[in-house]
Amino acid sequence: MRRGATIRRMRRSVLAAAVALVPLATPGGARAVDLEFTPARVEASLTGDDNVTRAGGSDALRDTVLGVRASKGMLFPLSSRTRALVQGFVGGEKFHKYDGLSHNFFGAQADYQFRSSGEFGAATYSAFVRTQAEYFQSTLRDGYRHAFGLTVLKPLTDRVTFLGALQQNIIDGKSSVFDTQNTALRANLDWSVGTWNTFYLGAEYRKGEFVSTNCRTCDPNKTLGLVNTATPNIIQDDAFTDTVRDAYRLKANIVVATLGYNRGFGGGQSLDLSWRRAMSSLAQSAVAPASKSDFAYTVNQYSLAYLVRF
Amino acid sequence: MRSFGELDDPRRRILIQALAAGFFSGAGTAAAQIFGRAPGQLPAGQSIYRVSGTVSVNAKPATLQTRITPGDTVETAPNGEVIFAVAEEAFLLRGGSRMVIEQPPARSGLVTALRLVTGKVLSVFGKGRPTRIVTATSTIGIRGTGVYAETDPEQTYFCTCYGVADVAANTDPTSKDTVIATHHDKPLYILAKGKEGGRIRRAPFINHTDQELMLIESLVGRTPPFVFPLENYNAPRRDYP
Repeated sequence: MRRGATIRRMRRSVLAAAVALVPLATPGGARAVDLEFTPARVEASLTGDDNVTRAGGSDALRDTVLGVRASKGMLFPLSSRTRALVQGFVGGEKFHKYDGLSHNFFGAQADYQFRSSGEFGAATYSAFVRTQAEYFQSTLRDGYRHAFGLTVLKPLTDRVTFLGALQQNIIDGKSSVFDTQNTALRANLDWSVGTWNTFYLGAEYRKGEFVSTNCRTCDPNKTLGLVNTATPNIIQDDAFTDTVRDAYRLKANIVVATLGYNRGFGGGQSLDLSWRRAMSSLAQSAVAPASKSDFAYTVNQYSLAYLVRF
Repeated sequence: MRSFGELDDPRRRILIQALAAGFFSGAGTAAAQIFGRAPGQLPAGQSIYRVSGTVSVNAKPATLQTRITPGDTVETAPNGEVIFAVAEEAFLLRGGSRMVIEQPPARSGLVTALRLVTGKVLSVFGKGRPTRIVTATSTIGIRGTGVYAETDPEQTYFCTCYGVADVAANTDPTSKDTVIATHHDKPLYILAKGKEGGRIRRAPFINHTDQELMLIESLVGRTPPFVFPLENYNAPRRDYP
């Protein structure tokens, strides 16, 4: 009960912050400030994910995901050095094998940005809040996903740009097992090679709660350890129908590394190829007969995306 | 026994030889070529900030030491690109381009005159420095501005990134326009052919970025009038779910 109330309070705070910027988007607000639309952005992606269950060993299930996302924003110059950016987005992901994970989403993000000058190397500081509703082909994961945090974007050289972010992620699912919170610290380097080619390298550390889905009957000893460790945060996962699988909410630390290549074309189009690897380790005590290694897992995601701005 | 100053450690000897040969400054230059460097005002006497691929000045291969002055012709092969400054003006000349920096006639009132024969160039000019740019299909008079042009015999793409530009079609004096821009407000196509008075058309914003404008302005000690660059990077930046 207390957990649900805390998440609802945080959700209200996030929504209130987002709503606070809405008057700027009204016609009156548009007249008061110099409203400017940002280009619409559409991306379509195909991702291979070797561990959609976020589980170790034979519980790791592989799938391919077709994704699409569209966004459009508005800029509000607030002063010569500050501005607000509000954008709405909508999209969906279609899983090939495990359709219960397929979902649609829509949401909004508001950013408040500061940049000290138009100098090449000046950093852009940003505070953001984002909220989105998610509707799955299954039921338990339906709900809301929120994030808020700070980012800094700074060109280090004329070829290398640094992006750093500290953000809090909050998921409010229909089942309390899917109510999770975690904190992420992220660094990203973009390396431009020529006008149209960019390589990027990202590293992220996440600490908090995550959900892992494991087969109930495949390894009774492992299941007993999982149950003893995660109780009472367990529920039969309705996204998987191949066999009975249970979702466990656990505290974990996750390190995520990303390597990508982006090839731009004229007219705001680009093709993006990336590999992301996540490594998770349990951040709470494992209860016998489980050991911490039973909860460790890795995820590899290979993604090809086409993006267009217009 | 070794004499004083003789190096008995071969690793130390190799290190000192490498230092003497300028190995590390060479490595630094190579690293700058690969990972770039923070741009700043060019020192007096230096014209070229960066050169890549095949680039020539007056038909001679260009290096970082090459001086560029009015009267010179700068040419890039399709794989080439050069970023340079002349007086208070700075340029990014893309591959497959040929540009002549002309000495404007005395009494013309012009400080700079450019002839973009073919190709693509991003340019910034100092305030109070009237300039004329001639392309294959247009003649443009500008004052204290940043502009981007692409030209071929059929058409010119011209974006007044900021500042004022008087644009006229070479083949039709009745096709003309004055653009007052703060941030890429009115890119144009200037056509070689078409009906009289209609050879200038609106165009989209293409093939140049605010980051490039900030870079070349920094070479001449200035900053552009905008603070926030338009977003041009188009990678997904998706969160790990």
